[in-house]
Amino acid sequence: MNLTAEEPVRPAVPHGMRRVPLARGFLTVVLSTLGLLLLCAIFAPSAVAPGALAGSLPFAAVLMIVGLAQMLVVQQGGFDLSVAGGVSLAVVIATHLPAGNDALLLPAAVTAFLCAMAAGLLNGLLVGVLRLNAIVATIGMNALIYGGVFAVSGGVPRTTTPLLAAIAGGETAGVGNAVWFALAILLIVTFALKTTVVGRRFEAIGANPLAARAVGLRVRLYQTMAYVCAQILYCVAGLLIAGITREPTAFQGDPLLLPSVAVVVLGGTSLLGGRGFPISTALAAFFLNQLSQFALAVGVPYSAQAIIQAFALGLGIAVYSLRRPGRNRKSAGRTGRLGKPGNTEEKHGTVTS
Amino acid sequence: MELSRRNRLVALTAAVVALALSGAARAEVPSWCGPKKASLALLDGFGGNSWRLVTTASGKQEAALCPSITKYEYADGEGNTQKAISDIKSMAARGVDALVVFGDAGPAVLPALTGAYKAGKVVVPYRVDVGGKEGRNYTKFIGSSFRDDGVSWGNWIRSILPDGGNLLFLSGPAGNSQGLDELAGLKSVLDGKYKFLNPAPFDVTNWDPSLTQQVLTAEISKNPKIDVIVSDFGPSLVGALPVFKKFNRSIPALATSDGNSLGCFWVDNHQDNPDFKLFTVATGNDNVRLAVDWAIAEVTGGKLPSEQIFKAPVFENSVTGQPSPVQCRRDLPGAIYLSAKLSGDDQAKAVNK
Repeated sequence: MNLTAEEPVRPAVPHGMRRVPLARGFLTVVLSTLGLLLLCAIFAPSAVAPGALAGSLPFAAVLMIVGLAQMLVVQQGGFDLSVAGGVSLAVVIATHLPAGNDALLLPAAVTAFLCAMAAGLLNGLLVGVLRLNAIVATIGMNALIYGGVFAVSGGVPRTTTPLLAAIAGGETAGVGNAVWFALAILLIVTFALKTTVVGRRFEAIGANPLAARAVGLRVRLYQTMAYVCAQILYCVAGLLIAGITREPTAFQGDPLLLPSVAVVVLGGTSLLGGRGFPISTALAAFFLNQLSQFALAVGVPYSAQAIIQAFALGLGIAVYSLRRPGRNRKSAGRTGRLGKPGNTEEKHGTVTS
Repeated sequence: MELSRRNRLVALTAAVVALALSGAARAEVPSWCGPKKASLALLDGFGGNSWRLVTTASGKQEAALCPSITKYEYADGEGNTQKAISDIKSMAARGVDALVVFGDAGPAVLPALTGAYKAGKVVVPYRVDVGGKEGRNYTKFIGSSFRDDGVSWGNWIRSILPDGGNLLFLSGPAGNSQGLDELAGLKSVLDGKYKFLNPAPFDVTNWDPSLTQQVLTAEISKNPKIDVIVSDFGPSLVGALPVFKKFNRSIPALATSDGNSLGCFWVDNHQDNPDFKLFTVATGNDNVRLAVDWAIAEVTGGKLPSEQIFKAPVFENSVTGQPSPVQCRRDLPGAIYLSAKLSGDDQAKAVNK
């Protein structure tokens, strides 16, 4: 790395940080989360009470899983706006097909996963192979999936099965099972991305698809797989919501769309693709969830709650962005030396940092 | 002679039976159903949930009581304002004589309603205020008295907590007029001894079970003593109420609207939760019946109903059992409303179609 050569032009970075290079955004999200917990402890202690955490962490877990899914797609330079449909479809399949009968839960879950894979494959084909714009393709897919949601449910909520409620809504060792599921998925995604050949290729393709193709990597296959994996994770999130919420509506995925993108951005993954930051993304999900608990716990009117959340989110992204100028100069210098246009600086930053 | 007497007896009996039958047939035709033949359309802004499905089936059943209605049509705006407007215009253009409209989009549909009214149609918007004036923009608006719901809840709260107590009021989206009207009703009955713990005017839940669960978690954690929860959509609380168990607290008294899943939840949980009393008002599916009655009376020349506004009747009271004890039909789906005139089995058919 060229970090030592650039040290004089990055005076804003404290001395200690240079010795231990941290993932971009990780420090920001950790500090933001610690700051928020401190604020909670001072101004709204009920937001960090054990009961409140036990009640809210399952929702953070769901957001974490959806965020990790969105991160995989963003790593390939895409966006997946079919998250709402994907989650909602899993919810209605898991509640309507068994209709309260535990014995039918497994076939319903298998059906949900098959549907998710089909939707992901279609997304992948549209974006990865047919080269459609990701936003347009996934909006269309979302409408298509919602057609399925209405076909299964007619828009009507149904009470979840006792088995699913016990699996997703129950607790193991004092912690909600949904949290364990999310942590397991976080481990799998992190190890797959960071320690396997497939994962390294996945990140390299996201950083620079043209270069990856030049060295013979199967770019389209990897891009397609990002959408398939994302839908599978949406399906897991949907199954968890179906269990956590006793009578989920048919539109349970809708409120997850914007937060899923927000946690990816807060986690530091570049929207242009490349390196992913699963742990930062997971922490960002906890941060966002805790932020809404804080806003609720301080007991201010709804308008003020919305302002507090937007302000904190903006501050989080701003802190992250404030670290950019030094990095940009570094990248610009390097790209200058390489004789490449400066507009690729973001991607260089993500690969080499 | 004997035979002739028997013949006369038979003839007399037949005449009496025929007279009784014709009288009964006349009695079955309600007074609001006049002699003039006409067609009627029910237009929904959004038809994709169980409440709407039950309401639609109720409207159809009411219209079927009047033999003068030769044709009955239904259109679902699917939550799309433009489609809702287009549905209104298209029904008017197709020569439908009377339109009963659930104007979800509010004043946005007023120009279309005014156009249909000026074209000589009978136009009856109901439940959601669309602005405008009777006799200028439409024939008659049949609102629902949400304030009366608040008054009913307030009176019950006074009966179970004569010395005052802590209340938590949950409603739907921020600023929705239903919640504000209900609050006005509550406050007209409850004096300063009753403290509202939520931020004014109410805790925002969007009537979403998942958000309700998160909001309730924060409120329970923050407030060690909650005596009554007031909510205008009872079934959305079913997923959230088990949160009290996480805090080792009894579910408090609940003043809300009815739903089969909520009734069954009370039956299953009231013994373990000594403070869990339940009071419900009808969820208001029968609002559509009054609107249909008015539209048919206007278009067929029948007698105008005396009621001009729908008042949701009190339904369940777990303390006194008056007007009815808590209802639970486990053989029927959770997402039906036993307070509606439409029978539970017919509702199940409407919801499961």
